Amino acid sequence: MSKSGKFDIIIAGLIIGVIASLLVLFGNPANMGFCIACFIRDTAGALGLHQAPPVQYIRPEIIGIILGSFAIALAKGEFSPKGGSAPLTRFAIGFCVMIGCLMFLGCPFRMIIRLGGGDLNALLGIAGFVLGILTGVFFLNKGYSLKRTYKLAATEGGIMPAVSVVLLVLLIAAPAFIHFTQPEGGPGAKHAAIAISLIAGAIVGILAQRTRLCMAGGLRDVVLFHDFRLISGFCAIFCACLVMNLILTAATSGTYFHLGFTGQAIAHTDGLWNLLGMYVVGFGAILLGGCPLRQLVLSGEGNTDSAMAVLGLLVGAAFCHNFGLASSGEGPTANGKIAVVICICVLAVIASVNTFAKNDS
Amino acid sequence: MKCVITFFNHFGAVRYKKEAERSGWKVQLSPVPRSLSSSCGTCVFCDTLDADPRERITDEMEQIAVEEQSGDGYRTIWRAEES
Repeated sequence: MSKSGKFDIIIAGLIIGVIASLLVLFGNPANMGFCIACFIRDTAGALGLHQAPPVQYIRPEIIGIILGSFAIALAKGEFSPKGGSAPLTRFAIGFCVMIGCLMFLGCPFRMIIRLGGGDLNALLGIAGFVLGILTGVFFLNKGYSLKRTYKLAATEGGIMPAVSVVLLVLLIAAPAFIHFTQPEGGPGAKHAAIAISLIAGAIVGILAQRTRLCMAGGLRDVVLFHDFRLISGFCAIFCACLVMNLILTAATSGTYFHLGFTGQAIAHTDGLWNLLGMYVVGFGAILLGGCPLRQLVLSGEGNTDSAMAVLGLLVGAAFCHNFGLASSGEGPTANGKIAVVICICVLAVIASVNTFAKNDS
Repeated sequence: MKCVITFFNHFGAVRYKKEAERSGWKVQLSPVPRSLSSSCGTCVFCDTLDADPRERITDEMEQIAVEEQSGDGYRTIWRAEES
């Protein structure tokens, strides 16, 4: 890796963008080569945590990201089990972030992929994401902290990779108690072959671990330090997706690029709620110290605080589908709108308590 | 010799910078170098010629490292307990 790492992260972003587009060619839903939120939501459904038949599948990409990060961290001597930094608060923030993601219908990673597929609704998402990050940075500069982490036993840090292996076994064995979307039954039925998805996830996990790729961190570093290293990875993913989608549209019978607001795959056109959904995600990601992709990668490195955030995402996804909070192609739900407003309030309280209350003590 | 100090949180670095500048040190906030850590927090760069940062340890500091003479990578010279 070069000392600044800027070149490496651009290469990594280009590779990840190409992989994301190819996963759609190989069977994943349109504009959803990767979506950490959607894939965790599908996994929650497969485990029976929610009962929405169209979105139930153990996504190997999630398993691959955690195991890829775990393997490269071990190989490079960076596997570092640690935790103890406000785990339940992180769980709550992860929960809120998932509600924001499922209002918008995608995590920050998919937001870029959607834009690369011509979905202009993602622009509203980006606006909300930036506003959320600016709100988070305001609290960071005022003293926000979830306190320090502590070194933990190796067994503690190995739990998430172990759980990932169990999930992989369940996916391959497909016992009766695991739920799978029926063929043509919804997005959960659209997926690349297990081996392809697993390898793609592992490559992304390795690259993201080596480069610290983070959608929220990129914008945070621009605001705080005028450092464009992380955000250059973000831009590279967009460029690679855009070019790949144009090539695939020209070279195949499928439509991988469709410019506009309407008629987009697994997306709605309600700009305000696209913006507010991603506002929650941006705000929450700064409070967590990284976007959902980064939380997965850190959990693979042995960070149990990030594992708690991932569990918050998982449970949040289950709540979204059990209580009608998740949007659909037809738009957001009334319950979802109320939940997003509550999440903004919850995040503001968490940020304030961990900023001003601590400073007063 | 260039020195980098990492912290458990962003504001720890901000506070350290303010206090160091009050003492006349030249310090700079920056993202933590990748070659030092896989964590993506905020660090403070300083010069050990100005002062030894080990004489100003705070609860928010995670580690102090100095740049290798070859210019390739860092060597940790202090680390907080249990970190």
